[in-house]
Formats: sequence, structure tokens, C-alpha cells
Amino acid sequence: MVSKEEIEHVAKLMRIELDDHAIHIDRVQKMIEYLDILDRAIKEITEPLIVNEQPLENLREDKYEPYNDKLIDKLKHYKEKFIRAPKMV
Amino acid sequence: MNLGISALEYIDAIKNGDFTIEEFVSETFDRIKKVDDKLHAYLSLNEKALDQAKELDKKRKAKEKIGACMGMSVAIKDNICVKDTKTTCASKMLEKYVAPFDATVIARLRKQDTLFIGKTNLDEFAMGATTEFSAYGPSKNPWNPEYVPGGSSGGSAVAVSALESIASLGSDTGGSVRNPASFCSIVGLKPTYGLVSRYGLISYANSIEQIGPMARTVKDTAFLLNIITGIDPNDNTTVDNHGEDYLKDIDAGIDGKKIGVISEMVGKGTDKEVSSATKKALAKFEDLGAKCEEISIDMVDYSVASYYTITSTEAGSNLARYDNLRYGFDFDLEEYEFNSYISKARKNFGPEVTRRLIIGGFVPSTGHAGKYFLEALKVKSRLTKEINSAFKKVDYLVAPTVPVLPFKFGEKLDDPVAMFLIDFNTVTANLTGKPAISVPFEISNGLPIGIQIIADSMQEKSLFQAAYALESTTNLPKVPL
Repeated sequence: MVSKEEIEHVAKLMRIELDDHAIHIDRVQKMIEYLDILDRAIKEITEPLIVNEQPLENLREDKYEPYNDKLIDKLKHYKEKFIRAPKMV
Repeated sequence: MNLGISALEYIDAIKNGDFTIEEFVSETFDRIKKVDDKLHAYLSLNEKALDQAKELDKKRKAKEKIGACMGMSVAIKDNICVKDTKTTCASKMLEKYVAPFDATVIARLRKQDTLFIGKTNLDEFAMGATTEFSAYGPSKNPWNPEYVPGGSSGGSAVAVSALESIASLGSDTGGSVRNPASFCSIVGLKPTYGLVSRYGLISYANSIEQIGPMARTVKDTAFLLNIITGIDPNDNTTVDNHGEDYLKDIDAGIDGKKIGVISEMVGKGTDKEVSSATKKALAKFEDLGAKCEEISIDMVDYSVASYYTITSTEAGSNLARYDNLRYGFDFDLEEYEFNSYISKARKNFGPEVTRRLIIGGFVPSTGHAGKYFLEALKVKSRLTKEINSAFKKVDYLVAPTVPVLPFKFGEKLDDPVAMFLIDFNTVTANLTGKPAISVPFEISNGLPIGIQIIADSMQEKSLFQAAYALESTTNLPKVPL
């Protein structure tokens, strides 16, 4: 059983504030409880996990392709060469 | 003018000069105006569509060649980027996001002169099975507006079903194309993983999701697939189908083919009307010369748990970018405390996305990953092995697309596990990467039932042949609206 404290802790790590919606915690708890049936499945599986590896030669060519530079105009606080962002402390 | 014609009929009609593209688009907009207040298929409409239609008509008049889609009106799920068009994922988080580029599927359709009539509603970030989790309100089922249209590509299914577009695109992570196709009585395909480029599809669980066509007929679905498939340098997972023509020999029939009925998907938890429709479908397959047998795939019972573990984990990672640094809102330029700045922005996620993100943080975290995430991957791997060996014995696997009939709004909203189980018959195709199609088969007391056919990887051609054969045995009523 997953404790509410654990859920709250993970929510914090995911940068989600839960103060005003505690109801989520109950539901998340129910959802995670359902996932526990995986424990039953695993009893039947003895073989190691097969992971399909992507061969490296199939990767896209490592080449610089400039994107349409007008994109930057879409920023709200863009002036000449600078982007103004909110101050962080 | 009949707005309920198929895509192929539309193309013929335009070629024959029965009506102009502009006339069709204009009538489609009238239809949208008439029914969409009630049904809410669309989140936004393409205001330029009429002008684009006129432009295409002009070209045709001047005997210039235009693309194979002939200005066909197609609706696009609002998690697929269409250049200079709002792409909200039905989330407040992206309410002002205007895509600066076309998704590969859009570029391919555009090249064939498709008109994108509007962007359709979905569950926020495609997480849901009813559209009830859309931040802009749910879509309604045109067969009975008190019922859910299915999801997450609910708007795309409603648009086609209610004659608000000829065809549409959806995305399918765990059944999101097939489930609403089934609930709204249209055809929906989840292609083999990698057959269709995901470039420009806003990621939710990228290791298993695919963009899929939705249309009124199996042939229309094959026609659309012909256009959107192929290798894309922008999506490394795409595979080469060597220009396969899915329409060719679609009427080859299924005489002598073997069909496996997945026993786990027709057992407990299946509504009796759905069971009875499935039995009828199997009888039809036998009439067409196929041989049906029951096949048990043990891991299906654990597929939903595996699916939610994997998708939540990937969602947790994919949605981390909405932190108001890389994506998000233009907040005012006041001073912020770093942590609260990010969580302030992330409060714009709706309740279901928030919950899935928490699960997505929890299941792969230290101390839990071995229990949840690793187990889920092992189930996925074993399930794939079981399905692959089934395809050594049979050509197709069949089950009802959704084990239950369409249900009323709110009915399952407060029961997350009941909501999970709606996906019971569809997630297997996603976890194993196989192609699967939902074919409308019956209307039971005014509510549609679809039958799902699954084929082996890259066997879409054969899949369409079975779907077309099944479709040919049906004679379904028109949508009542």
C-alpha cells in the first residue's frame, strides 16, 4: 500500500502543488493499487527482459539544419538581440 | 448535397464536377454551425478553408493538376501540429500555443491538397477514454448526446460520424483511435508502430503511440494510410513500407484465413450486447470462408496495468517540458521564486494529467522502479512473445474493440479503475506494436458496437482485407442527427 505521504512527496518532485486538491491523492492511491496486479504476472515470467536496441547507424545524420529564424519574433518580450525573462530567485 | 459520402465518393464527385470544392466546404461549415454547439467535436476551425477551397477550384478550372485528396475536408486531433494553427492538446497549458510547423502527416496530406477543416477535441494530452477530461468540455456522441463518444480522439470520431468532416486523424496510445471509432460507428486504425511518423504529434507516451486515420469506410481509411505512411528523417522510429498500396486488392476476401478469438477479451467484464455482436461477427467471418478458434493470451489480463505504468512514466518525462521555461505561459515580468514559478505554471494541467504525472513520477522512482516499471516492461515483453506465437497459428486476432457499450457522461468518471478497464481490449496492440482496426458492426438499442481485428506487424494490407470483408456483411443505419 502506497502511503499518502509518499504520493505527496512524488508530487513535489514532479513540481505539482497538491495543497488545494487532496482528492487526487485518494485516486492516485487507487490507481497505483491496481498496478499491484503486476506482482502476480511476474511470478509466471522467468525469462530476462528483451530490449530492442536501436542500431546507431540508423540515426539521422548529425548535421546542423537552421530553423526558420522568424520563430524568435513570436516571443512576447523579445527586443533586438535580447529576450527578457522574469526574474528568478 | 450529401455530406455523408465517403472520401472516395467525394473524390469521384469532384472529378465528375457534381459540385465544387467550395460548395462542399461551405456546406460542411453550415453543418458544423448547425450541430457543433451540441456535439462539440471541434476546438477551433480553419477560417481560411473556404478561400483555400476557392483557390483549388480555380486551379481545377484552369486545368491545373491538384493533389489526390481534391480539397477533401479532414479534421485533425488537436495534439497534431498544423502550421500557424492553435494546437492546444485540449489543455489550458497550451491554450495559446500556435504550432510553427506542420507535423509530417499534415505535410503529406497538404501535398495532396487536403483541406484541414478544424482541430478536434480530445481528453487533455490524450489521457482518457471519453473526452470528459478535455479542459474545454466533452464532445457528445452523435448517436445519443447523453452518451460519451469515446476517447481520447473523441472529437475526431464525432466530426466524421456527425458529417462535420469526411475523415479525420486521431492518435492511439492505448485505443484512442479505435475506442471512439467504435463508440461513434466509424472505422479507426492504429497502424504498426513506426509505420506513420510521429513528428509533430505532441508526445504523451512515444514508445507506443501512433497517429491513425479515422473514416466512414475501410477503403477511405486505407486511402488515407496510403498518403501518411513512409520513412521520415524527423522520426527515427519510422519504418519503410516500400510504398505499399493498401487499397489494391482490398476486396481479396478472407477465404481460408485463420482467426483467433482472444478468450481473455470476450470473457468477464464484457457487456452481453457486445458479446452477442462479437459472436455474430465471428459467424460472418466463418460465412466468408475463415476459420475461427479461441486463443488464450495469458498476459492480456495484466496488459492494462503494464500499459498505465509505462505510459505514465513516459508522460512524466514528456510533460516535464511544460515548466514555463521551455514551454508554457508568458507570465508578467515580476519576480518569482524558482520552484513556485514552475509549479504555478504546472497548475494549468487538468486533474487527470496531474494524477498521471504523479503516477509517472512514482512508478519509476528509486525503490519502486523494480516493482512497477521493470515488471511492466517484462509483461510487455512476454505479451509480445505470446502474440507473436499466436500469429504463427492464425492470420488475425479478433475481439470487440471495447468490452462495454457507450455509457453516459459521469458514469465512470469517479472510478479510475473502471476507466482503466475500458482500454482492456485495445492496449495489447499498442504494447506489442501490432496494427489493429475497429470496424463498425452493430447498433444495439441505438448504441454502436465495433469489432477489432489485429494483424501481425506491417500486415496492414491483409488487415484491411479482413476489415473490408467484415464491413461488406453489415448494413448499418445512418446517424440519427
